[in-house]
Formats: sequence, C-alpha cells, structure tokens
Amino acid sequence: MSPLRTILPLARPLRGRLLLGLALACGAATANFCLLFLSGWLLAGAAFAGAAGLAAQQTFNMMLPAAGVRFFATVRILARYAERLVTHDAALRVIGQLRVWTYRHLAPQAPAGLTGHRGGDLLSRFVSDTDQMGQHYTDTVLPFVRAAVCGSLFVLIMAIFLPSAAWWLGLALLVCGVGVPFLVGLASDRLLAQLAAQRGTLQADLAETLQSVGEYLSLGAANRQEIAIAEKQLSIAAIQRKLAAIESAARSILTFCTTLTTLLVLVCAVQAFQAHHLSLPEVPMLVLGCLAAFDVLMSLPAARQTLGRTRMAATRLDTACSTPALVPAPTQTPDIQQSFDLMLHDVSFRYPNTTQPVLEHASLTITQGERVALIGPSGSGKSSLITLLFRFYPYETGSISFAGTDIRSFQAETLAQTISVAAQGFHLFNGTVRDNLLLANPAATEGDMQTVLRIALLDTVLEQTEYGLDTLIGDDGLRLSGGQAKRLTIAQALLRNTPWLILDEPTEGLDAATENALMESLLQARPDATLLCITHRRAVLPFMDRAIEIKNGTFCPAEEACP
Amino acid sequence: MHTQQHADWQTTGLARRARSWLAAAVILGGAASVLFVLQLIILAQTVDNLTFKGHTLASAHMALIEIALLCAGSLLVQWLADMAGAEAGLRISTSVQRDLLHHLFRVGPIGCATLPAGQIVTTLTEGVAALEPYFAQYIPRAAMMVILPGLILAVVFHLDGWSFAILACTGPLIPVFMALVGYSAQSIMNRQWLQLVVMGSNFLDSLRGLTTLRLFGQTQASIDRMRTMAEAHRRATFSVMQVAFLTSATLEFFASLSIALVAVVFGARLLHGTADFRSAFLVLLLAPEYFMPLRAFSASYHARQNATAAATRIAEIASLPELNIAVDGEKPSATHITSLTLDTVCTSYADEPALQAVCARFERGQFIAVTGESGAGKTTLLRLLLGFLDVQSGSITAHDSHGRTVPSPQAHMAWVPQRPLMLFGTVADNMRIAAPQTDRQSLREAAQKADALAFIETLPQGFNTPVGERGSRLSGGQIKRLALARALLRNPDVLCLDEPTANLDPASAHAVARALHQCASYRIVIAATHDDALIRQADQILHVADGKVTVCRQSKDVAA
Repeated sequence: MSPLRTILPLARPLRGRLLLGLALACGAATANFCLLFLSGWLLAGAAFAGAAGLAAQQTFNMMLPAAGVRFFATVRILARYAERLVTHDAALRVIGQLRVWTYRHLAPQAPAGLTGHRGGDLLSRFVSDTDQMGQHYTDTVLPFVRAAVCGSLFVLIMAIFLPSAAWWLGLALLVCGVGVPFLVGLASDRLLAQLAAQRGTLQADLAETLQSVGEYLSLGAANRQEIAIAEKQLSIAAIQRKLAAIESAARSILTFCTTLTTLLVLVCAVQAFQAHHLSLPEVPMLVLGCLAAFDVLMSLPAARQTLGRTRMAATRLDTACSTPALVPAPTQTPDIQQSFDLMLHDVSFRYPNTTQPVLEHASLTITQGERVALIGPSGSGKSSLITLLFRFYPYETGSISFAGTDIRSFQAETLAQTISVAAQGFHLFNGTVRDNLLLANPAATEGDMQTVLRIALLDTVLEQTEYGLDTLIGDDGLRLSGGQAKRLTIAQALLRNTPWLILDEPTEGLDAATENALMESLLQARPDATLLCITHRRAVLPFMDRAIEIKNGTFCPAEEACP
Repeated sequence: MHTQQHADWQTTGLARRARSWLAAAVILGGAASVLFVLQLIILAQTVDNLTFKGHTLASAHMALIEIALLCAGSLLVQWLADMAGAEAGLRISTSVQRDLLHHLFRVGPIGCATLPAGQIVTTLTEGVAALEPYFAQYIPRAAMMVILPGLILAVVFHLDGWSFAILACTGPLIPVFMALVGYSAQSIMNRQWLQLVVMGSNFLDSLRGLTTLRLFGQTQASIDRMRTMAEAHRRATFSVMQVAFLTSATLEFFASLSIALVAVVFGARLLHGTADFRSAFLVLLLAPEYFMPLRAFSASYHARQNATAAATRIAEIASLPELNIAVDGEKPSATHITSLTLDTVCTSYADEPALQAVCARFERGQFIAVTGESGAGKTTLLRLLLGFLDVQSGSITAHDSHGRTVPSPQAHMAWVPQRPLMLFGTVADNMRIAAPQTDRQSLREAAQKADALAFIETLPQGFNTPVGERGSRLSGGQIKRLALARALLRNPDVLCLDEPTANLDPASAHAVARALHQCASYRIVIAATHDDALIRQADQILHVADGKVTVCRQSKDVAA
C-alpha cells in the first residue's frame, strides 16, 4: 500500500474536487435507491386503493409521491452527469501531474540509472502506470466509499419500515461487499502481477524488435523472433482469460446473492404484512429497495482487481523514480570567476558493476584556449572523460576541477552553460532540423542556425531538400546519413556558443576531403574556443595544439603524433 | 484487391477472425435473457400472490425455489456468454498483433522507419489492446440490445397495450440520439488518440535523448515541455469524456422519462381498478431491464470509439508496402553463392530516386570497398543488396559454382550496420540471435575471427555479461566487433558491412581489416568505408556519387 502514498501529495491540491466527486457519487446512488423504493410503493398503493373502492381512490394522494418520483429521477440523471465530469476531471489532473513527476524524477538518473531499464518498458511504465494510478480514485476509492456510505444509508432506511428485513439486507451487503472483493483479490493479485511482468517484457521486446528489423532479417532470425513473441502473447492471453473468468464469476455471485436476499426480504415482509405490522404497499417497496441496494456493490469486484493493478503500477513507478541518483546533486551553485581550465589529478574510475578500471591515477590539465586531441584504443575511456566531467558517474579517488572549482559542486546542467558536447552516443529527436537545433539552444535565431549549419557543412545538403530547416529527420535521425547526423550534432554544439567545445569523433563517417573541410571551417569559426577532440583519426591531429593518449588508464602526451 | 485488404483491418473485417466465438457469446447471452425474464415473471407473480391474493408463505415455497434456480441458471449461461466474448476479443487481438509483426518484417527496416518507432509500438500494444473490449463487450452487447428489449416487448405486449406502445416508441429513439451525439465524439476521439500516440513516442524519444538533453543543459526545458503536453492531453481526453457523458445522460433521461410514463399511466389505471397489480409490478420490473442493454451498450461505446481509432492506426501500419522479395529465410546449406551480378539496377526511397543503373559483378574471394562522400548513397547500395530496398528496374542475380541461379540470395547474406543494435541481454544472447543453438566453442571462434574475444574475456562475466540497454555498457568499437562476430556466426556467403572500422582505434581497425580479408577468401565481402587502409586492401572499388556507381577494378586507381 505504501507506494500509493506517492500520489497523495500530488492529489492534495485537488482535495476539493475529489470530495465533491465522492459526494455526487453517493447522491446519485441514493437517488436511484429512493426512486425504485418510492415507485414500488406508489404502484402498490394505487393498486391497493383502486381495489379498496371509490372512497379509498379519492383519498389516495398520487400527486405527492409522483412528484417525488420525478424529483429522484431528475436528481439521479443530473448527479450522475456531474459526478462523472468532476471525478474524471480530477483523475485526469492527477494523471497529468504524475506524468511530469515521473519524467522529472527519471531525468537526473540519465544515463547511469537508466542503463538497467529498457526503453519499451519505461514507455509502458510512463503511459500505462500513470494512467492506472490516476484511475485509482475513480475506479477503486469511489466504488468502495460509495458502497460503504450508501449501503449503510439504505439499511437505515429499510430499518425504519422493517428491522428484520434491514437486518438481513445489512448482513448480506456486508458479507458480499467485503467477502467477494476479498476472494477476487485472493484469486487475481498473483495473476495480475504475472500479467504486468509479461506485458512489460513483451512491450520492451517489441520496441527492440522494431528497432532491429533489418538485423533480424539479415541474421535470418525474423521467423524465430515472430514465434518467440507469439508464444509470449499466448501466455499473456491465458492470464487475461483467467482474470476475465474471475471478474465475471464474481459479478454472477453478487447477482445471485441479490436474488437470495431479495427473496429473504420478501419472506420477512410478507410475514410482517400477514401479522399486520406492515401495510400492503410496503411489501413491493421493500422488495424493490433490496434490489436497488445491491446496485452499489456491482462495481466492487472490478474495483478490487483495479486496486491490484494500481498497487503494482505504484510500486513500479516508485522503484523507477526513487532510485537515488548515482551522483548526489550539489547543494550550492558555484560562482565561476577564473579562466576555464580543466584539471584532473590522480583520478581513478570504473563503471559500476565492472571490475576493469577505466582510469587509474590519471592526471590531465587543459587550459582555456587550448586545442587538444585525445586519442587511444576504443574502449580505453576516451568518452568516459565526458561522463566524469558531467557527473554522470562518480569517480573513486583523486580530484577534478573546472575553472578552479571542484566539479562536485557542478550539476550537469550548470556545466552545460560553459561546455558544449557533440557526444558519440548522441540522440537526434524525431522532428525537423529546426526542432533539433532549437533543443540545443531555444534562443537561437534563424541566422544563428544558418551560420552553424554552414560551419558544419550542412548548408549545401539542406539547400537540396525541399523544406530546408523544416526537413523531417525521422526517428533518431534515420533519414540522415551517418555523417550528416554527426554533423548535425556538431551544429547543435556550435549553436550553444560556449567557450568550451568537446567533440567526440567529429569526423567519423566522413571522407577525407569533407573531414579536412569540416575541421578548417570549425577552427575558422571558433578560433578562441577551447577544443577537446576525442578521436582516432590521424587527419585531425594537425589541427590541434597537442595530442594526449590514454594508455593503461593514464593520460600521457602523444608527442610523435603531433607535427 | 487493395480495398478488400483495407477492409480486413476495419473493425468489421477483424470480427471475422473470431466469428464463431462471437456467435456463441450472442446466443448464450440471449438464452440467459430468456431465463432472466422468466425469473422476473415468477417473482412478480409471487409478490402479487402473497400480497393482493393473500396466499400463505407455505404455498409459495415452490415459486421461491424456482426463482433461485432460474437465477442461478441465467447467471451460469451469462457467465459462459461472457467467457465466449472474452475469448473472441483475445483471439482477435492476439492474431492482429501477430499479423502486424509479420507484416512489419515483410516491410523491412526502411519502410518501418517511415513511422516513428514509438508510434508503432504503441499501436501494436495499446492499440491492439483497445480492440479487445470492443469484441469482448461491445459486439455482444450490441446484439443483446436487439434480443433482450425484443423479448421484453413481446412479454409486455401480452400484459398491457399502453405500456407496450410507450416502450416501443421510446426504445428506438435512443440509438438515434446516441448516434447523433456519438458522431461528434468519434472525431474528437480520433484527435485524442493521435495526441496519445504522439505523447507515447515523445516520451520514449525524450528518454532515449535524456543524456543529450542534459549535455545541452535543457533538462528543465524538457520537463516544462512534458508538462505542456500532459496538459494538452488532459484537455483532449476531457473533451471526449464530456461528449461521452452527455450521451449517457441523454440516454438516462429518455429511459427515466419512459419508465415514468409507464408508471403514471399504470398508476392512474390501477387507481381506477382497470389494471391489475401483477402486470403493473412486472412491467415496473421489466422496464429498467428494457433499457439496461442500452445502458451497458452506451457504457462500452467508448470501447467502440477506442477500437475504431485503433483500427485506423492498425490499417496505417498494414498499408505500409511490403518488399517484393522475402528477405528472411533459413540459409540453405547445400548451395553457395560464388558470384553476384547487378545489371542496370535502379532504386529509390519513396518517390526520390536513389541509385541509377548500377552495374557490377562480385566474385567469391573478393573484398569490395564502396567509397563516396558521406550521404552519397553507400549505405543505399548495401540496403539494395540486402533486399531492404526494392529493385525498381534491372536485376540482382546470384550464381553458384555450377553457374546455376541461386534463389533468394538474401538468405545467404549477413550485415553489420553502421550503428549495430544490441539487444537487452548478455553478450552470448546477442551473438545467438543469428544461430540460437550455437555452443560456447563456436561463439569463441566467431568472436576470435572478429577480434572481439580479447575484450569479451576481460568483461566481468565474459560471454554472460549483460550489455545494457542498446549495448550501453560497451564502447562503440566493441559493439561493432560484436556485431561482426554475430554476422559471422551465420556463415554468410556475402557479408555487407557499413563503416566496419569507424570508431575503432588503429590497432583494432587493423585487426578487423585483417579479419575481413581472411573472411573474403571464401566469401564476397562488401564494405562501405572511408578507411584508406581498407580501401587499399580492396580487390574492387565502387565509387558512389550523384546516384551513380562507378566500378574501379584496381584499388590503386582511386588511391592515386
């Protein structure tokens, strides 16, 4: 139950709406009960008076109960309409806040905290789980509260007329209202857990499969994958079948109990009538009242299953969002006065859950204005420098400072104001070239964008397209070639116009001519920028002031590589 | 033909997939209704007997037992009907999901990329799931809307002419009004679904790009964007709900109105002694049940709207054109491709011409380098060979050592893309995609050939090390070598590689180049590359520029 508490603070500002919704729901159910109760009395009363002769006909006042019937009918319609509007509006507001809450909590965990998750799974967590938790109020809280409040009220009303019937009704409502949901919970909670787990896996599998359609085909594995996924679907369908059976059976049991209780109430009422404790019209009235009273229980089995789903959704969201960030957020924002020099001293680092150290007692200094190439074998930790600098992962020993300040007092977002990165594992967003550029710098003008595209040698490419800056680049930039995508990320980094630039393999996927042209145009455009190029292309080295090599986890000058 | 195919993805076409289960649900539901109406008739009779007729309780025992038995019977049959409906829904949704996935494999990677991946996944999961309640509930309820009210009308006809007239007149009015309101709800629903889909893919996109967003310092801005989208989503959903709720309020209004009319007309006649209580009580019991299927139907009306909107999305995926040739297939071991001939082949992306009149011939034992500026179409040429792009004119033919044509040459090919995708699993899992039964020794041999064994052995759990989401625990070069090892496990006759040495340090690049050269002794190896070392090794060089491919036999021609 505890993970559900997460949503309580989110729901607090909506307390008024939530309570109003509950009141309206109870009002609608009560109006429905009164409507049937009164109608039964009215018909039997009229029939009784009609049978009793002319005098009774004339004394029988039909106007007042008829007005009552109309009143309750109107209240029922209006209250139900208002109830649905108010409760669903409240639920949707909770969902909206939950979505933002989830995203906000996941953001600081990237990339370290998200490597264990799967993209498809997170998508399902976000969309389905937030929806599920938002519906907790309409689908679980509301039915149970309504059943408790209205059930008690209906029993009290019955008790005014015939305590023995009320006694039976109360007992039956209590047994059915508590017992049936309990049994449903017992039978379905485990199935629901299995269903959720299997659905999550299936969704992630589908997401992964769709991203790798080409590879599955070229590896001859498409058929096997189709069969594997179909098997998972069948296993999911089997669970769904059982759940449907349980839900439908629970509803049938409730209906059967309704009929039995109604018969009991009928027997009680007839006994009382024959003993002259009850007038004749009150017999059908109590029978109809009993039928109507059970209406409030009918949604409970489904509500109990929903509760099981909601608890799991809450647990999953809570686990995903409450994982503490690998690197604690700094408490204060640093005030940078000095020049932007980077200093690593005696730094050791390895990725979590690995034994191989990436850096071992490594030291490095880059002063503002320098152009440095960082070379080394793949997997030697060249790109790890970026993740350390931006505090995505913590380092074990040593110290790193930027502009004379310990980088532990920086947040990635603060450092980004000074350093722009064109990373290797870059991600381009589905949208236009303009969208992606504006993501890097929302304040950029049309002119700024044209300029950086020219520097990144993308202007000619875009001129050939029909829509220029508004060209759609597809999911993860798939409509661009590898080299074009890379240059777009360089354009993004340039657009941010920061004193530091870190380019990870800037010329990868480019032919020699374009490579040279790109480096020249870069240096010409930003002659004063501090430039760190992570590369293993020798052709880049002549453009740099010096080259540093990573060897066995340490930085050492690669003199022979530089002119 | 095409319209027929399109109709298969409409909801009516989908219903055909589980026709007998749907029929069972409707017939059983009808039987349950008959038992239910009988139960009410006996109940009304019993109440009348015990009150107005003054019978004793003892004489009513039989009737009470009958009521309980009829109730139990009707519930049992109704439960069977529900299960048949659920089965229909499950069968349809599972088969649609399976067919769509099969279709997407036939469409190939280029076609799939025309729709955002998030959108396809949402349609395949949530969209398909939206079909389930439609077939499990909506269709049986829609049928019940004709059966139960018809039955009740017939009973009421025998009881009371006035009530029959009132119910018969008001009943049919309700679907008309609901259709009017529902029509506008449908268009709002379609819009909302689109928004939901956009939001779904937007979140996956944002999650994948979270690191990039953080590096840009745009985390807060993206949270704000998420808030705006969530708010828009809430408004869209709420506007749909408002219409839906108005529909059911209208329904209830009509239902209440006609029940009130029945009661008032009866009340007046009862008072004057011109009607009997038994009929009146029975009609009062039946009247709400007369409108009950309508209410249930209206409650599942949003299931229909969800399903129709989902069916549109599903049809959108189903309408992606399939490739002319089946790319997938188990590799026949008997024949081997020894030569591959491209004869004036043209291809294009959608309407945009990509490559024109490509002529080339590759022989077994050759290493072929594809060069050209970035974006010139090197990858396109590989995609064409791999069958991911349709040949528009000309032909690609493969021959074995006896000069016989090899059917479906793609089954003999393997591919290492520029950014290979790693599945969420271990190193071994990722390699075994190509050949699930491979033993550890063969894995090691393949890894050795691709220069991947050394780094795999330094991983904490060796071949059993998890690679993380999209291989995030491996470096770019390691992923590339792992993908090469995976491709080699298939023992292909033709190996296509896209920038095999990009991302690799010189030592590793050299090792891969050597491995490729070795592979080429009994294969055709085709690599798109900028790497001079690789180009120098090549037996043949294809240069791609302006959509044309020039063949240079000698590597020295270009190097000069």
